[in-house]
Amino acid sequence: MGEAAVRFDNVSKTFRRGQLHDSLRDVVAAVFARLAGRTRERTGFFHALKDVSFAVARGEALGIIGPNGAGKSTSLKLLAGILKPDAGCVAVNGRLAALIEISAGMHGDLTGRENIYLNGAIMGMGRSEVERKLDAIVAFSGLEDFLDTPVKRYSTGMTARLGFSVAAHIDPDILLVDEVLSVGDVAFRQRCEARMREMVDAGTTLVFVTHNLEQMRSICHRAVVLDQGRVSFAGDPTDAVEHYMKATMNAVGEQSYMDCPRADRLPGRLLGLQFRDASGRAVRTVRSHQPVDVEVDFQLSTPVRKLCAEVSFRALNGGLFVNFNSGREGRLYDVPAGRSRVRVRLPALPLAGGNYVAWGRLWDNTECSLVAESPARVPLLIDDEGRPTGVLALPNAWPGQAERLEMCEPAFALTGSHP
Amino acid sequence: MRLGDFRQKIGPQTSENRSTETLPRHPRRREEDHARMTAIGQPAVLTELVRYRHLWWSLTWRDLRVRYKQSVLGIAWAVLIPLSTTLVFTFVFTHGVKVNLQTGMPYVLFAYLGLVPWTFFSASLNGCVNSLVANRSLVTKVYFPREVFPLSAIGSCLIDFCVAGTVLVGLVAYFHVSDPDWSYVPHATVLWLPTVILVQLTLTAGLGMVLAMANLFFRDIRQIFAVVINLWMFLTCVVYPLPADRSTTGWIVAANPMTPIIEGYRRCIIEGESPFTIRFAFAAVLSVVILGLGWRVFRRQAHKFAECV
Repeated sequence: MGEAAVRFDNVSKTFRRGQLHDSLRDVVAAVFARLAGRTRERTGFFHALKDVSFAVARGEALGIIGPNGAGKSTSLKLLAGILKPDAGCVAVNGRLAALIEISAGMHGDLTGRENIYLNGAIMGMGRSEVERKLDAIVAFSGLEDFLDTPVKRYSTGMTARLGFSVAAHIDPDILLVDEVLSVGDVAFRQRCEARMREMVDAGTTLVFVTHNLEQMRSICHRAVVLDQGRVSFAGDPTDAVEHYMKATMNAVGEQSYMDCPRADRLPGRLLGLQFRDASGRAVRTVRSHQPVDVEVDFQLSTPVRKLCAEVSFRALNGGLFVNFNSGREGRLYDVPAGRSRVRVRLPALPLAGGNYVAWGRLWDNTECSLVAESPARVPLLIDDEGRPTGVLALPNAWPGQAERLEMCEPAFALTGSHP
Repeated sequence: MRLGDFRQKIGPQTSENRSTETLPRHPRRREEDHARMTAIGQPAVLTELVRYRHLWWSLTWRDLRVRYKQSVLGIAWAVLIPLSTTLVFTFVFTHGVKVNLQTGMPYVLFAYLGLVPWTFFSASLNGCVNSLVANRSLVTKVYFPREVFPLSAIGSCLIDFCVAGTVLVGLVAYFHVSDPDWSYVPHATVLWLPTVILVQLTLTAGLGMVLAMANLFFRDIRQIFAVVINLWMFLTCVVYPLPADRSTTGWIVAANPMTPIIEGYRRCIIEGESPFTIRFAFAAVLSVVILGLGWRVFRRQAHKFAECV
């Protein structure tokens, strides 16, 4: 870790809730109210950041995640110098470029080309610098055919593409990115991501605010989770995502999606789900290709002769659903009253990397009735070690070197041929 | 800037401010740029502005571009507006009320020489009043010295002013040939013209910053400005010379820095006299003071702009 490129020391920022005095009439009214001894009830303050400290080393990529209103954008605006902290110190070493809203500097009446010059100037480039990079910028945006069209006729995605293309060519020491990649099509988003990674590899310091946890995890070296204006976690991006997911799930615990309200009314209690890796360590992140044990702890008030345990997984972003049931594998437990534990061993959990939730259920197989259920779903992160293969992390191998084919009749036709 | 201070005094933020103001101010560590909170007079402000000159030019150019986009006559409007106003006043003051110009210069020239600098002055201030509010998205999303907004509003009007000024050559030539009672003699005093323009720019920049900031906090300023600027024009020797008897409006006229400035244009271009009178010197000093104070207050309040706009 070298010298910090960006440093936040005990920064606090407070905003006033409600309306500011926008017109003199309000001020005059307020003065008379004060003179008459009637002070209106004030609308109070909103503490956007409370005593936040973090630092980003040169060349490091820091992700900032957290729920809406946690202070993410405020942090970026403080870094960019748009806002001034009420207390504490913000230090920035080097040329800084902030992509807080890339279309902010666009003017609808100007053409794409004119806007490139204008935006370049706004982001701190000289005219000659823009001229030098114009071709690269245009090529990156993919808007060659619309350069002389006024931007007011552009779609939202096109405007954002133009803005990001300029920003991607500033070559700053420090780049601040605030959730700007959510517009634009998939191909452009990937190009942006690749470009950001390229800049980080080239030594640019990155501060990246996003709700796209996967993207953050793939780009950033370190992450900070903000919650209600405080740093609630700082560290490894994967752990940060897990922390954030857990916090979110606690926060939305009352919602039916995460909760199993009937768990309280069942005769048994499911005490917990635990994931253990091959060495027996409790983990929250499971690697797709590693064996994992899932332990189900529970408590029964009456003995159950034929107990069937079930563990399910669901991808958080979609409908992928996996279910393991001991009964289907021919395993029924005879369990006395009291606390017990069963475990299911998975030689691998070959699901695509990402965020999942897991929950357990216990059935009484003689009556086919539900005995216990997880009171809340358990967040789980699956790590495919950067080798995604789609929905499933399937093992695949590519044996041998390329074999030379002789110039002879092909073994099969590659294209359909019509006689 | 009394309004800003005023608001701060009565605003509910006061107690909050006090508690944080007592905290020690950490020095800002910035190697090469963003010396944001430095007071005016320190070279950091100027170097920062110099560093952002491209931006100033880009915004100036954008204002110009947008003003004349989708208009058939384009930049010709920079000439047509003062010219048509001149014709209106020529009609009024030659066919209606008669004015005595004393100097014998054709009324059209007199009015044009008043209206072009005056249009520059009033259009600049009008642009300044709206500059921060109209660029709200930039103020809240991008950092750069906020002075750039009013200064580029002035910049685009300066270009209009220069375009309108070139037409003066044609007008002078026309009256030199067609008016038997008047002929133009070129004077070396024309060389003082940049000084007169510089004083006007100083005054405009100082007032512009104050107005831009005031309108950001209180939108009433724009309405008040529209009234005041109209009144101001008639208290200045724009379309008629001020009466020699100044007993009634004496102190207003004496304190009005625009009168010696506009007289300065006529003196150095047409009358062959140096623009420097005692009143011009007073106007110059006043302009520098207004710019100094205005800029200082602007800098002090600049960090609030993004929150209050």
